[in-house]
Order: sequence, then C-alpha cells, then structure tokens
Amino acid sequence: MSNMLTVTQVEKYYGNKGNLTKALDGVSFSIQEGEFVGIMGASGSGKTTLLNCISTIDKVTSGQIIIGGKDITELNSRQLSEFRRTKLGFIFQDFNLLDTLTAQENIILPLTISTVNHREAIARTAEVAETLGITDVLAKYPYQMSGGQRQRVAAARAIVSKPSMVLADEPTGALDSKSSRMLLESMEKLNVDLTATILLVTHDAFAASYCKRILFIKDGQLFNELIRGQQTRRDFYSKIIEVISLLGGDVSHVL
Amino acid sequence: MYCKLAFRNVKKSLRDYLLYFLTLSFAVCIFYVFNSIEAQSVMIKISTSEKEILKTLTQLMGIVSVFVSVILGFLIVSANHFLIRRRKKELGIYLLLGMKKNKVSRILVIETLLIGVISLGAGLFAGIFASQWLSIFTAKIFQADMTGYRFVFSSGAFLKTLIYFSVIFLVVIAASTFAVSRNKLIDLFSAQSKNEKPAVKHPAITIVLFVLSVICLGVAYQQVLQNGIMRFDWVLLREVILGAIGTFLFFASLSGFFLKLLQRIQGYYFKDLNFFILRQINSRINSAHVSISFVCLMLFCTIGILSTGLGMNAAMEGNLNTSMAFDVELYTLPDRAMSISDDLAAKGINLSEYSDKPYEYTDYTNPSILRSVIFTDDLNSKLGADNFINNIEAPLPFIRLSDYNALLDMRGKPVLSLKDGEVAISYSLGSDNVRSAIEETWNQTGKVSLPDKVYTVYPKVLSAAVVSMGEDGNILLVVPDAMLVDGTGAVTAGFAPSESVLQFNCSGDSTVKQDDLVSRLEVFYNDAGGADLYSIITRNAQEASYAGTKAIIAYVGIYIGLVFLMTSAAVLSLQQLSEIADNRQRYLVLKKIGADDRLIDRAIFRQTAIYFMLPLFLAIIHSIVGLTVANEAIRGLGGVNASQNILITAGLILVIYGGYFLATFIGSRKMIVREERNE
Repeated sequence: MSNMLTVTQVEKYYGNKGNLTKALDGVSFSIQEGEFVGIMGASGSGKTTLLNCISTIDKVTSGQIIIGGKDITELNSRQLSEFRRTKLGFIFQDFNLLDTLTAQENIILPLTISTVNHREAIARTAEVAETLGITDVLAKYPYQMSGGQRQRVAAARAIVSKPSMVLADEPTGALDSKSSRMLLESMEKLNVDLTATILLVTHDAFAASYCKRILFIKDGQLFNELIRGQQTRRDFYSKIIEVISLLGGDVSHVL
Repeated sequence: MYCKLAFRNVKKSLRDYLLYFLTLSFAVCIFYVFNSIEAQSVMIKISTSEKEILKTLTQLMGIVSVFVSVILGFLIVSANHFLIRRRKKELGIYLLLGMKKNKVSRILVIETLLIGVISLGAGLFAGIFASQWLSIFTAKIFQADMTGYRFVFSSGAFLKTLIYFSVIFLVVIAASTFAVSRNKLIDLFSAQSKNEKPAVKHPAITIVLFVLSVICLGVAYQQVLQNGIMRFDWVLLREVILGAIGTFLFFASLSGFFLKLLQRIQGYYFKDLNFFILRQINSRINSAHVSISFVCLMLFCTIGILSTGLGMNAAMEGNLNTSMAFDVELYTLPDRAMSISDDLAAKGINLSEYSDKPYEYTDYTNPSILRSVIFTDDLNSKLGADNFINNIEAPLPFIRLSDYNALLDMRGKPVLSLKDGEVAISYSLGSDNVRSAIEETWNQTGKVSLPDKVYTVYPKVLSAAVVSMGEDGNILLVVPDAMLVDGTGAVTAGFAPSESVLQFNCSGDSTVKQDDLVSRLEVFYNDAGGADLYSIITRNAQEASYAGTKAIIAYVGIYIGLVFLMTSAAVLSLQQLSEIADNRQRYLVLKKIGADDRLIDRAIFRQTAIYFMLPLFLAIIHSIVGLTVANEAIRGLGGVNASQNILITAGLILVIYGGYFLATFIGSRKMIVREERNE
C-alpha cells in the first residue's frame, strides 16, 4: 500500500520575533491508503492547526505535506481550491449543513461544484445515502432531521466526491452518545467497505477507539503513537485512556 | 471612555457601512437643494409674475418635503435597525461585562449623533454645491438669462435641513435606545446563530397564486390601455388596485414557482451553485416579498414621475411659442362708448408709451349661428376628447378678413386672401391631428350655409396665433368684411359685436413695460372696487404660468423621483447586506468544500443581481404600459417625443440604482472575504 499522506518536519509559527508561538514544532508522520487514523491531544496541543494545514485552509511555516503524491505547500490558491474539491472531504463538528438546502442538495454540492454531470451526481448521491442509511431523509431539510441524521448527511457530503482522504474535525462533538456511536460505525464502514482514508481529530477517547492507529500531539510535537492491531475495541479504549492520563500529567514524569 | 468606544465604533462602521453614510448624505443633499430654489432666483433675470410663481413653488416644496422627510425617516430608522441587529453580540458583551443598559444606550446615542453630524455636514456641503447647478436648470425652465454668477447660500433651506434631520436622528436615537432596553441578554447572544426555517409553501398554492397574479396584471394592463388615464374615476382606481394586487401576488409566488419549474430541469438546477443561489433567493424573497413589491411599485412611480418631470421642459416649450400672439392683449365686452385706446387715454395711460402700433378690433356673433355649424356631430364624435371646444352650443365668433390680415401683417406673416364666397376656420388650440381632422371633414363637405348665402370653406384650417386668447379666440370664422359690416360701418342685421380686443407688442424692454402697464391698470381696478374693467393677458404672466407649471411638475417630479429611487435602492441594498451578513457561514462552508473564490463571487453577484433586477423588471413592464397610456394623453395636449426623457430617466436609474447594486455587491464580497480571515 502506498502512502496517502506524508508530513515531513512541519513547523507552524505564530507571532513575531519577540513573542513566538510554535503551534507545530517539527511534526512528521505518514498515513497509508485506506487507513483510519486518529489524532488526539488536549486543547492547544496543535491538533487543529495540524488539521488546518493538511486541509489546505492554513499554510505551514516550513516543512512538506504531500497528499496523494502532491506537495500541497507549493500550490497557489486556485489550485488549492481545486485540490480541496477533488481530493479532500470534510466533516465538521457543527455539521455545517446549508439549512436552505435539502439533504440531497447538501450531499450533491461538492459534485456540482466540480461540474460532474447531473445524472451521475444524482446516482452517486443515492448510492452514498444508501451506504449511510439516510435514503429516507434525502428530501428533508436539516431542521427536519435529528442531530445524528444531520451528521451522517455531512459525512455523505464528505465522501460523495470520492476524495483521497476524509478529514473529520471533532465530528461527534455535538452529538449524543447514541448518535455518536451510529456515526462512528458509519465511518468505520466507509473505511472498510469503500476503503476510504480517514483522518479523525478528536479529544474523545471513545471516538478515537474506532481508529486503527492514533497519533498523540502535545505542545506541537508528536508525543506517542498507538496501534490497535488485533486488540478489541474495549482493550484499545483502555490503552487510549492510559496515554491520555500520561498526556495530562507532568512532562518530566513521562520522560 | 464611552466617547472613545463610540468614536472607535463609528470609525469601524464608516468603513463597513459606507453605503449607509452615502445614503444619509445624499438624502440631506437632495433635501437642501430642493428647498433652496427660491434663493437661487437671485442669479436669474425674471419678471414679477415669475417671482410670484417661484414663491408658490417654494411653498409647494415645503409640503413635499414633509412627505419626503417621512419617507427618509423610515429609511434611516430601518437602516439603523439593521446596523443594531448586526451588532447584537457586541452589545451583549458590553452587558455581560456589567455595563448598565443606559450606558450601552449612551454609546449608541453618541454614535448616532456622530453619524448624524458627519452625514449632515457632508450632505449640506454637497448640497450647497449641487444647488449652484440647479440654478442653471431653473434658468433654462424659465428661459431666462443668468444675470451673472453669484455663490448662492440659502440659510432658510440650511436651517430647515438641520431641523428636519435632527428630528429624524432623534427618532433614530429613541428607536435604538428602545431596541437595547427591550432585548434580553440571551437574545443578544443567540441572534447570530438563529436557524431560519425556510417557509415551505405547497407547490400547488404557488402555481395558483402565480397564475392569479398574471391574470390580475393582464386585466389591469388591458383595461388601462383601453380606457386611458384622461379621466380620473373609480375605473382608474380599480385598475391601479388590481395592478398593485397583481404585483404583490407576483412576488409572493414568483420564487416558489420558478424554483419548482427549474427543479424539473435537473441539468440546469444541479449545475455549479445554481440550486444554492435559487434556494437563497427563494428564501430571501419568501421573507421579503412585501418590501420587494413596495420597491417595485416605488420604482414604477420613479420611472413615471421622473420621465414626466423631465418631459415638462419639452412639452411646454412648444405651447409658449404658439399660443401668445402679442406681448399684451386687452379685451372687454363691446358695450363701451369709447374704443379701448381712447378709454385708456382718458384714464391717463398713453398707449404710445408702450407700443408703436397697437391694433384694436371687434369679434361678432350671431345668436342663430352656433359653433355646431363647424363641429358637426360627425366631426365632434371623430375628435372625441381631443377637442378643446367643449361648448359647441355657444354662438360662433366671427372676425373680419381685414382685421385678421392686419394682425397677420403685424406679426410679419403673409396675408390671407379669400376667394369670393369663401370663409376660413381659425382654430389655434390643440394638436395638428385635430386640425387635420377638421380639414378632412370640411374638404369633403366643402360648403357651409350662412344667413346671406352658402360659402365654400377655405381648404386649410388657420392656426397662426394672431387673434386674442380671450373668450372668442380659440375658434373663429374669418369672413369677408361685408358679411359683418356694411359700407357705412353699421353692423349687419342679425350680428352683434361680442368682444373688443386691443393687441400690441411692447417697444423697448418688454418685460419691464408689461409689468408697468399691469400695475397701472391695477390701480383703476382697485378704484372701481374690483369691477372688471379689462381682461389683460401679458406675455410675462403667460410665460410665468407656463414656466411655473413646468417648474412645479419638473421639480416635484425630480425631487420625489430621486427620493423614491434612492429609498428603494437603499432598502434592497440593506436587505441584501443583512442577508449576506446572516448567511456568511453558508459561504464559508462552500469555500471549505472546495468552491473557489471565482465561483463564490459569481454566486454573490448573481444573487445580488437577481435581487435588484426582479423589482426593476416588473416596474419596467408596468412603466411600458403606463407611459404608453400617458403619452397618448400628452399627445392630445400638443404632442411630445417622450423617448429622450425616458432615456435620461433610464440613465439616472442606471447610475443611482446601479451604483447601489455595485456597492452592495462589493460590500457583500468584502464581508465574506473578511469574515473568513477572522475565522
């Protein structure tokens, strides 16, 4: 399997000479095609900055980010839009569905923006909706749906254009536990059935336990890595909790 | 500290809401300019009568200004409402930090005062300069010469503007204080994240409403085209109401109808951001169709009023030249012992002071010969409402050929020679159409029978303005002298003098002499206790009355037209900006899922364009019908080529309305780009 994402020595600095904040301080890792990777870290650890850099919304100060063989740090804004459109899918914490559009119209949006033929677009929308079990809400408006349904519509929108990678930023943050479970199971299914590469940013251990591999970030640096391997989800969950307690503890104690 | 906060807010707002400031300043500017008309008259040379007319015009402008200030007041208050709504979160933070409500209000009051002072200052400054230009326009309307340039400043208009706008700003302050005191903290905070439920209407209802609106408009158009607008009665009122209802229904159903229609064309609907734009417009129009309908009707009024106001110049110019034959016309009943000139001389007014060659003549009537001799039933029905001679059962006035020719000679026109047994019809009012209709009828009939014998009718209708505009002047029969007076000067049996007329051109400075003669005659008039000695028509008075009517229609039209145009554009613009502000999250989502700037720009442009074009589109259709009917009516008065005025109106709309459109588009774009940077 080839590398889908390669991050090499990425640094992101904010501020000026006198007052420098290193949001990312030499982060390197890679993700293979078809992986389901979680990034965990406390507030202010730099995980959102990392996601923003990968999702081309923000620019790195130095280093390289290669997605699907393309160095995105060297693209201009026009190319970035196109890259986002064709190679990436997003799931946001607050769904970010457009409330004037029906579920179907929300899902089809990325396809029409990339000027896909409307017949193919409608067929693909139906297909994705089928996979995520939201066929019966396609004609509804967001305000007529439950939170879980909304987030699955958002997930459908993220994958409908068959992106190289799906970036999910705290997707369960605004959901109750039942809806969270349904969404995560859906994402797991997307990963297994459609071999979608997923990068999940979260600070919820339960959500992270659905991943195959977890990267921990602290103070802008990679801190630890956990691989699920053959463990049950429950065992993996306990492992994650252990690392989190370490993360929260004193640095000197860990080292 | 509050001052400092307020100052900084205003500085920030100045950049954000340039449109609001421009609207305010423009309103102030227009208000000043149209209230300063009287003061401008120092620059132009006009007669006493024209000064009187200007005074009337100023009074009328005062009344219109009250109406205008109410409209502007509503505009400013609602614009301010929009600004406050945008800042609810900011106000919420002040309250959360423990600032008292009256302190928050104080910040708003200081801000409003600042905005008021700046826009008043800018508007008055612009107005004082713009009013200099208006003087040139005034001079053109009165066809007067500029006496030389002088910088005009009208302290009256200045004070009036200050007072009116101070009141408006006080209302604004009261409204915003009320808005702050009424709101709960939670509302101020949740204002930003309100999730609007789109009003979903049943498609069948939309279609029914749309069809109904088209029927309403169709019937209204058809009826008004058929009945015209010359008669103001309940039929016209019914047509207007029908049109208004049609307009409201049209905008209530339009977006839903087209959405349903376009959803069927999936290739178009699911292309780029088309369906997103359509949905945005749909939800926009659904919640704002009432104000859009008002904007549409206001634009219709603007087009009508502006093109009429501008058209007055051309419409009256023609009349001014043809209807007045001489500088002065005196006429009276012929029961005096002396001729008019002798009578005046007896009163101490020597006509030679005024003119080299006054000419006096008499009209005759015969009680048995009525105007219906000329206006036969056949001709009368053909002319219809175009005929200005209503009273066709009145005796027909006659004038001697020698008198008529003497008058023609005085005006330097070739004399008329009638063959033996020939009479000529003189009809000096109305359009060429009426005259040619009379000629046509009489060329067929050819003969008219008068007491002494049957006469042939001269093939042309005489239209040269040589006879008096008095009672008899509009329709006359020019006949051989012998028919009216015999060789000894005695009036023929059956005929009697009906009106004595004295006409002349003044020598020297005509304007001054006319004013002088009128004031001297006024003395006698007053001495006689108001008994009507002579009716006098002077060119001064005539011109003043034409120019005055022209000026009144032109100024009131342009004033109201500009205010309407500005108000409707500003309302649309504020609504569109507030919509973009409320929905900026949607555009950011579009950007995140890969819509590039070009696509977003295009979406905003199309949305703004459709939003501005819709009411204008229907208003233009209304206007095409309206102006067709209006032109029909004006043609009866003397025929005007309205296309030039419509072009000027279109230009004004393009500049003002288009300017607001562009500013709105640029503002919307800025809002989305900037918000993204802050994210």
